[in-house]
Amino acid sequence: MNWYHWIALGALAICALVLFAHFIRLIRLGNPTDYSKKSGSVAKGVAYSSTVAMIDHKESAYLHIPTYFAGMVYHVGTFVSLFLFVFFLINIALEFTLPLWLKWILIAGLSISTLCGFVLFVKRLLVKNMRNLSNLDDYLSNLIVTFFQGMTIGYLLCPCVEAYYYIFVSILLLYMTLGKLKHVVYFFAARYHLGFFYGWRNTWPPKKVK
Amino acid sequence: MEKLSQEQIDKALKILKMPADSKLVTHLNACVHCGLCADSCMYYKSMKEDKFIPARKVELVASLYRRYCTLTGKIAPKLVNARDLDEKMAEEMVDILFGACTLCGRCVKHCSIGVDIAYVVRIGRQMLAAMGLVPATLQATVDAALTTGNNMAIPTEEFVDTIKWMEEELIDEMQDENARIPLDEKDKNILYTLNPREPKFFPLSISAMAKVFYAAKESWTLSSTMYDVTNYGLFNCNDEEAGIIARHLHDEVKILNAKMLVLGECGHGSRANRWEGPNYLGMKYDFDMITVAELINDYIRSGRIKLDKTIIKERVTMHDPCHLVRNGGLLNELRFAVKSAVNDFVEMNPHGNDNFCCGGGGGQLAMSEYNDRRIKIGEIKAEQIRKTGATIVVTPCHNCVDQLMQLNHHYKLNVKIKSIGEIIADALVIEK
Ligand code: SF4
Ligand code: SF4
Repeated sequence: MNWYHWIALGALAICALVLFAHFIRLIRLGNPTDYSKKSGSVAKGVAYSSTVAMIDHKESAYLHIPTYFAGMVYHVGTFVSLFLFVFFLINIALEFTLPLWLKWILIAGLSISTLCGFVLFVKRLLVKNMRNLSNLDDYLSNLIVTFFQGMTIGYLLCPCVEAYYYIFVSILLLYMTLGKLKHVVYFFAARYHLGFFYGWRNTWPPKKVK
Repeated sequence: MEKLSQEQIDKALKILKMPADSKLVTHLNACVHCGLCADSCMYYKSMKEDKFIPARKVELVASLYRRYCTLTGKIAPKLVNARDLDEKMAEEMVDILFGACTLCGRCVKHCSIGVDIAYVVRIGRQMLAAMGLVPATLQATVDAALTTGNNMAIPTEEFVDTIKWMEEELIDEMQDENARIPLDEKDKNILYTLNPREPKFFPLSISAMAKVFYAAKESWTLSSTMYDVTNYGLFNCNDEEAGIIARHLHDEVKILNAKMLVLGECGHGSRANRWEGPNYLGMKYDFDMITVAELINDYIRSGRIKLDKTIIKERVTMHDPCHLVRNGGLLNELRFAVKSAVNDFVEMNPHGNDNFCCGGGGGQLAMSEYNDRRIKIGEIKAEQIRKTGATIVVTPCHNCVDQLMQLNHHYKLNVKIKSIGEIIADALVIEK
């Protein structure tokens, strides 16, 4: 292992620890205590909230199909890139060679997701509403993650960029602990709370209008 | 605005610094500023101003959270837009969190992440309440309920007179000397509650429900002092005051030894009692509490009342009060009652959980300084109604009734606005 592998490993450990600390804090703070008489099912509400509700009659999705789709692809690209990063680290020991066809599928897919990330960045920059809503962290997070996916493509194409790749991923992992990228934890918590709220009151899962 | 004292600031920040559970921390950290909630909010839809985007409302509170409760916000506030709580910020919060949100929760369901925007707005209002910055108009409504037991400060004698007058009307209409509107009677099945707008402006809705109770041979009573189902503490977000108001009805059930509390036709009042009341008081209630729509459905299903659908010939639509449907789960309960009474029923588009607020929620009806905005956002509802072609709009909420009447007048809709009790009473078959 080279020095940059160790740096990346250290960054991964710090990132995982900080995100885990956020998660533990949420667990320790616990659920809201609700003394009202429950009329629905929290379990069903949370199950719906975490699955079908993500697309079911959701204006942020169906009124904004290109943006929503780009956002989904971008997030898939991010998770694939993170997964590959962990794989690359483990593979230092395994020395497994990715089949060429898989490499090219990954490169093609990540190219699309990188493009999506870039388009979302440009949209944030150009659309007045979005600009007024955004802070420096929004732009930086978007850029860093987009570059991360780009670097992953670069590393798949040319192992010679290995050192740059690991250093950049280390920066991303450390930055993740500071700003909005923490939503990787809070997203799931938000879906849970929403499911809890609507499930308790029997709004979710939604009923067919009779 | 006067300079904020350190004591005011500390009181407000305490709400952010000492969360009771994980909900607040979650929703303050979850927004990704995607902006996709903009079109779900009637304020933004009607006025197209950035400051009305739901995420901007969340941002006001979240930026304070970041400034005072996160390391990044403390050391690099510019990076994450972490803002100080100063006079400018407080003024902005009052204007946007009180003056530009009905707490309808429509954006919540449509947020790409699942941020409970309405909840965060309520936290922001709580902070303003802690600093004593609730708009005076709204606070006056809460104060009236705290000091007199009802938000319109109706004197007891005036209320009792109105009830006696309605009772005489009922006796005449039913041609039965035994037809009653009982007051302060003990050991009844039901303690029924009202929105003070009823005795003040719409007493016929009281006699309509009295007629339904008469037909169902119900054992019920009203209280002459604690009959107010509303709780504007839900909107000024001073939970202590909301708790005192919620206790009024809780204690009245005990005093009169009623078996069940029936929440009159008021969306936010139903929410404030049914869902929030026990939490304000920090205890489970040991009696049942249902809305009047659910009670009427019981009567219909069990055959205690009979309805003739052919009596009402006009086309009818329904406005879903946000706190009964999206935030209260009564989507089909409301429809069952209305559809049992009419033949020609048509839905608005959108309706149910996706329905737009009437525009009068969140305390907007009490805050006259925001009247222009309220009427402007109501245009969405007015157009929804117009498109149905209905001539009767039913809604089980007297605040919605009030707002819809103003929209009816302003946008020349030429419709009649009725409560569920009224439409049921119109279709009621009285068996002698
Ligand atoms: S849709 Fe949700 S996550 Fe996106 S900006 Fe609006 S509140 Fe934030
Ligand atoms: S709760 Fe309703 S009024 Fe308030 S921001 Fe959301 S959609 Fe707009």
